[in-house]
Amino acid sequence: MDNKAYALKMQGITKRFPGTLANDHITIECEHGKVLGLLGENGAGKTTLMNILYGLFRPDEGQIFIDGEEVEIQSPSDAINHGIGMVHQHFKLVDTLTVIENVVLGLPTMKQVLDLAPAKEKLLKLCHEYELFVDPDAEVWRLPVGQQQWVEILKALYRDCKVLVLDEPTAVLTPSESNNLCRAISKITAQGKSVIFISHKLREVMEITDNVTVLRDGKVIGTIATKDATQLKLAEMMVGRAVEIERRPRAKVPADSEPVLVMKDVNVYDERGVHALKNFNLTVHAGEIVGVAGIDGNGQRELAECISGLIKPQSGTIEIKGKPVTGVISDPSFLGFIPEDRHKTGLVLDFTVAENLIIKEYMKAPFAKKGILQYKEIGSHANEMIDKFHVKTSSKDVAVKTLSGGNQQKVVIARELNPEPILDIASQPTRGLDLGAVMGVHDVLMQERERGAAVLFISAELQEVMALSDRIIVLYSGENMGDLDGDTADQAVIGQMMLGKRI
Amino acid sequence: MGEKKTLNLPLIGNIILTKGHSVLGIILGIIAGGILILISGVNPFDAYGAMLRGAFRNWASFTNVLVRSSPLLLGGIGVAIGIKSGLWNTGIEGFMYLGGIGAAIVSTMNLGLPPVLYVLLCFLVGMLFAGVWGAIPGYLKAYRGVNEVTCTIMMNYIAVYLTNWIVTSTPIAQPEAFYPMSLPFAQATYLPILTQGTSLHIGPFIGIVVCLVFYFLLKYTSFGFRTRMLGYNPIAARYAGVNSKRQMVIIMVIGAMLGGLAGTIECIGLRHRLYMEYVTNVGYESVAVALVAGGNPIGVLVSALFFSILKAGGATMAIETGVSSSMSSIIIALCVLFVVGVGVADEKSASARKRKAKAAAAAKKEVAE
Repeated sequence: MDNKAYALKMQGITKRFPGTLANDHITIECEHGKVLGLLGENGAGKTTLMNILYGLFRPDEGQIFIDGEEVEIQSPSDAINHGIGMVHQHFKLVDTLTVIENVVLGLPTMKQVLDLAPAKEKLLKLCHEYELFVDPDAEVWRLPVGQQQWVEILKALYRDCKVLVLDEPTAVLTPSESNNLCRAISKITAQGKSVIFISHKLREVMEITDNVTVLRDGKVIGTIATKDATQLKLAEMMVGRAVEIERRPRAKVPADSEPVLVMKDVNVYDERGVHALKNFNLTVHAGEIVGVAGIDGNGQRELAECISGLIKPQSGTIEIKGKPVTGVISDPSFLGFIPEDRHKTGLVLDFTVAENLIIKEYMKAPFAKKGILQYKEIGSHANEMIDKFHVKTSSKDVAVKTLSGGNQQKVVIARELNPEPILDIASQPTRGLDLGAVMGVHDVLMQERERGAAVLFISAELQEVMALSDRIIVLYSGENMGDLDGDTADQAVIGQMMLGKRI
Repeated sequence: MGEKKTLNLPLIGNIILTKGHSVLGIILGIIAGGILILISGVNPFDAYGAMLRGAFRNWASFTNVLVRSSPLLLGGIGVAIGIKSGLWNTGIEGFMYLGGIGAAIVSTMNLGLPPVLYVLLCFLVGMLFAGVWGAIPGYLKAYRGVNEVTCTIMMNYIAVYLTNWIVTSTPIAQPEAFYPMSLPFAQATYLPILTQGTSLHIGPFIGIVVCLVFYFLLKYTSFGFRTRMLGYNPIAARYAGVNSKRQMVIIMVIGAMLGGLAGTIECIGLRHRLYMEYVTNVGYESVAVALVAGGNPIGVLVSALFFSILKAGGATMAIETGVSSSMSSIIIALCVLFVVGVGVADEKSASARKRKAKAAAAAKKEVAE
């Protein structure tokens, strides 16, 4: 098919950010009157790609075609002029203005006096046409979140968009609102407009889309027609690795091994009030790796954060070696925590390598005495860690942001695991790393196990969970779906459990 | 980042190194100011010459520069530690009023203390008043998510009117005054004058010492490490166990106490009374000082002195050459704009350079293949 057949085609889009390759030669094709699903986990590059389409980022490489013609999109207004409508995950509405004011905001007009009556008429017509009902005179901040999304969609339709992008639209909707959205989408496509539907919820993608493109680590894994796809197949594409990872041989965990982490009936609600962990029970023993499998966003982050004391569970108990967790644990000889987003949470990118290695111990001897930092000690500690963990850096005194992703992760690992904690939490520790670096992380975790540490290994990559874990639990929608033996676990069974089937 | 040349002069070398933006921005600001002076019909070289003469003609004129630098140094540091920890403290104006109020209450009471003790008491009370005042926006920012810029500016207005009320309608107000002011302060609270016949008090030297202390504090202590970590990445700081909310309040209170100290020193060092609206925007100028310094305490030292030269010399420039007396404020504002602008431009060109280098590398690879 030549490019003309596509309402939108993005070809070979590449975008680099310092330390990461967010989009790596991504090509997507969206046909007229069809819904293209864009599936991938957090950090797979979906949002970056859409921000490029909307002119918020400039791609380093690649072309964009609309109706077969190459276009240059330098700003959101270019994108709008080319008929692209975008509903961002976080709405871009002016809260204090009314619905109709938001809709006409930014439209060119020659009139000096704002006359909203014709605009209102046009908006109401759209409301009826798509069955997305909102009061044009209501102030936006008074509307429930679902209706705010209708406003965003109507705003794009009002501008007569040809391609409508919906970035995780259902994350904020109730089930009945989701149904309204589905109905509206089918009406939009019936008119020959195209929709790009971004999500990591498989069920919706199956229901709504015509074609699905799966992204992982900034690359396109594949594009298939939804009618040929199954949830399982999509899940595999989302989380699997192209390269087979062998299961690591190991001795059995002794039956009398001491329980280190004990969680009982833990319930956690996240900041939006979503029930993120439901009556969660888990025990991790010394010298074992417990792998947590599951599709991203099913409670993994909350699990790691409530154990490390960053968030407080609403009910239930968490004990590490008999000591209840009450506040943030910053004692690295007790808990080593490799957080899931090293740029945001694990490192201070503008600090040097040496400084990043002590951000949990900067106030303790030998790094500080009477509140004065001991740069000599800090420096020799840094050199020792750089040698021991093979961190590739020109010096201990360069900013950690100049290092590659794998070496940044080595800095985090050195800081968290060198003090030999009794419990390790590794949350998505290999995300965004190349295979060599992934293997390095796996080596470290196995060494931790041999040392006798209890290891909780959270990963959305099923293969590596199966390769490393002594026991595997599966998280689905905040629930522990079951506890499997690592040696005998079956990938297909885990795959089913990840989709919410109890086995 | 890594490609800047190193000049290993103590302190000054450091500034040129990390503050290349500021130096270039200031130069551009001075040139732009010169153009404005030219437009107003005066030879800019004459005008700037008059300005320099005004600041450096003799020791007496230089003392004027120093006296003006005192609140800018202290207020500038108060803002700078905020910048380092990611907080925009725009409340120095208000904190200075509170420091003045504290000093006025103590020193109009005539406690009969010996001078050294009495001065220290004034410092203490002034800083205490301002510290409590600063704890309010600090608390609101940290625990209630209120924007600190809005909050501190609003509180500045409250502080202004609180001062007006105190110098008009309370027992410490001067009755039947030609301008609203407090009763005169006790002699024992006057800051010692260092050079007879000038108003040079010890305030500027306190300011310089405070700059050096905070330079050390930020760089070489656990407290400074925590503060910088909070400024660079508050989430990582929280993960590392820093109580970031408490630290925010502490930083705001320290900034407020420095502002309060600046206000106290202005009152007991220079005016010996509390006057209505005596701060005259110095608090906002200290935000400019800290901005130009990029939050670096040594930078604050330099930029506060630079601004004081502009302000002190500006008066002479206005008298001798007829340039508007507000020209020095305009030049200060231009310098801030250029410093910020140069920083942004530099960042953009750096990323453009990077892109080009990458494209070149990719092209090379293609050719090789």
